[in-house]
Amino acid sequence: MLEAIRSYLNSSATPGEAGSMFWATIYILLITIGVSLAVISMNWLERKILAHMQIRLGPMRVGPHGLLQPFADALKLLIKEDIIPDNADKLVFWSAPVVVTMTAFTTFLVVPFGREHAVTDMNIGILFMLGISSLGVLGIIMAGWSSNSHYPLMGSLRSSAQMVSYEVAMGLAIVCAVLMTSLQTGTGTLSMIGIVEAQAQQHTWFIFKFFPLGFLAFAIFAIAMVAETNRAPFDLPEAESELVAGFHTEYSGFRWSLFFLAEYAAMLAVSSIAVTLWLGGWMRPFPTWLGGPAWDLAFSFVPALTFFVLAGMCLLGTVRMPKIPQMKIQTAGLGIFGLLLGFIGLVLMVPGVRERVQDIYWFVAKVAFFMYLYIWYRGTFPRYRFDQLMKVGWKILLPTGLGVLIATALWGLLPQLGSAIVGVLP
Amino acid sequence: MRPADAGSDSTKLCRREPEGSLYLEDTGMSLSPLIRKILLVDLIKGLKVTFNYQPPSEAITEQYPLERPVIFERYRGQPRLKVDPENGNSMCIVCNLCALACPEQLIVVKGERNPVTKRKEPVSWTYDLSRCMFCGLCAEACSTDALELTQDYEMALYSREGMVLDQAALEKGQEPVQYVK
Repeated sequence: MLEAIRSYLNSSATPGEAGSMFWATIYILLITIGVSLAVISMNWLERKILAHMQIRLGPMRVGPHGLLQPFADALKLLIKEDIIPDNADKLVFWSAPVVVTMTAFTTFLVVPFGREHAVTDMNIGILFMLGISSLGVLGIIMAGWSSNSHYPLMGSLRSSAQMVSYEVAMGLAIVCAVLMTSLQTGTGTLSMIGIVEAQAQQHTWFIFKFFPLGFLAFAIFAIAMVAETNRAPFDLPEAESELVAGFHTEYSGFRWSLFFLAEYAAMLAVSSIAVTLWLGGWMRPFPTWLGGPAWDLAFSFVPALTFFVLAGMCLLGTVRMPKIPQMKIQTAGLGIFGLLLGFIGLVLMVPGVRERVQDIYWFVAKVAFFMYLYIWYRGTFPRYRFDQLMKVGWKILLPTGLGVLIATALWGLLPQLGSAIVGVLP
Repeated sequence: MRPADAGSDSTKLCRREPEGSLYLEDTGMSLSPLIRKILLVDLIKGLKVTFNYQPPSEAITEQYPLERPVIFERYRGQPRLKVDPENGNSMCIVCNLCALACPEQLIVVKGERNPVTKRKEPVSWTYDLSRCMFCGLCAEACSTDALELTQDYEMALYSREGMVLDQAALEKGQEPVQYVK
């Protein structure tokens, strides 16, 4: 048993490639737990960061600095009464959150957290991700229709219109990145791992490739992905001021929390597409410029260092806590949390773990940057009107995407065109 | 804003408006609207504003039970009857001016002359907080400055029972509330 584990850990293959059901199951469990943990921490971070942007403090009372707030909320949602409206279509109403959650989690099957840290490497990975994540809109429409209520229905109609219009621009941007993979090898790839490896071979992230073009494609994707996940400033399907809560108005308790979970999981999934296609996936920054074993060693300490910094912040917070008897438990809790983070940092220092974990770390760090962007947008931008939303989608993003796609193709063909012209010339 | 300082303040407000990076005059005005739109200048400006507000020291939230607000001296809160610090006698001379001044007539004072000191001393004092609107006329009318409205503000109760304050309660004043949680 131990031998099997060790030999697997020493090999560099995804469970899919190794054909191992056991490891695939373990990976799926780990990813499910990881994504759920990420959603929980995202809940806390969003409330805190948003609050600070609005010059508030956010949750402060449940646990030190409100750290236990998401757990309190989850408990509240679990024991809340689960209401199904009288004239609702029971079966559809019941299955809508399941569809949404399942699609949001299924996309993580092909997300490459590292060369060997993906459940499987499909040769149509990016297509699979796009297909599954657009299925999520089906769940939203089911929820809106089965609620038998005006607001959810309008929310889900808006959602479907929005998804359809932004999927086009998003697809065009993705095709740009896929085109770029075929530049040196001549054969492109749709596999998520293949795309990152193409970036490694070409010694550049695709965001910097063909300078304005890669960046433009990335920008189109970055805008479309916010619209795709129904987040501010494109959160029309759940516009609070207009539609109560949009498609999940009639949902309560656990079912509502499933929608919440799915929304954040979808955000993570779409961000990981962006990271894979344009930001070099699991690659660390400057793999060639700051290359060599010394830099490799230095960069491999970054994950541990991050945890040490977080632990230091927690301990600093412990020192800064008000010194009154009522806050004793909270101070102790924060201290223990800081020590826990420090311990994780220490574990990440161990050589074997260090090498195994750093690609996951860089991938997660890049995704975290996108999650921060989501919160930042929400704290800053007012919501678009629906016609403005459609205008941005069809009149700006779609033509730009087409133009970028054509330009990318031409630029990629330049050497061949050049040689062809040279060949024709006498 | 009070009418007396309306003039000066309104000019100040006018002057205050254009400063800060929120407004368009400082940068980018030279760019044409189309280029501003393409480069998302305004959006980036907005992002900058929210980003700069992030340090927790910027937050204006008051963690109420932990940190208590600064109450201004002219705030009118819980009423208090003063006691002469030298001999512990009430400073009230039962002149009844406060009861007459009160627009709600919620103060009832009864007193009798002390045969030894020849001073009139209060026998029963009631102050019905539930009807009080904290206008402070009673404190203004008081001839000996015995009655005052303090800066204590935690007067909420679970029932109407404790709303009518007697002399002892008025003299003791409010105990600072201790929050356990």
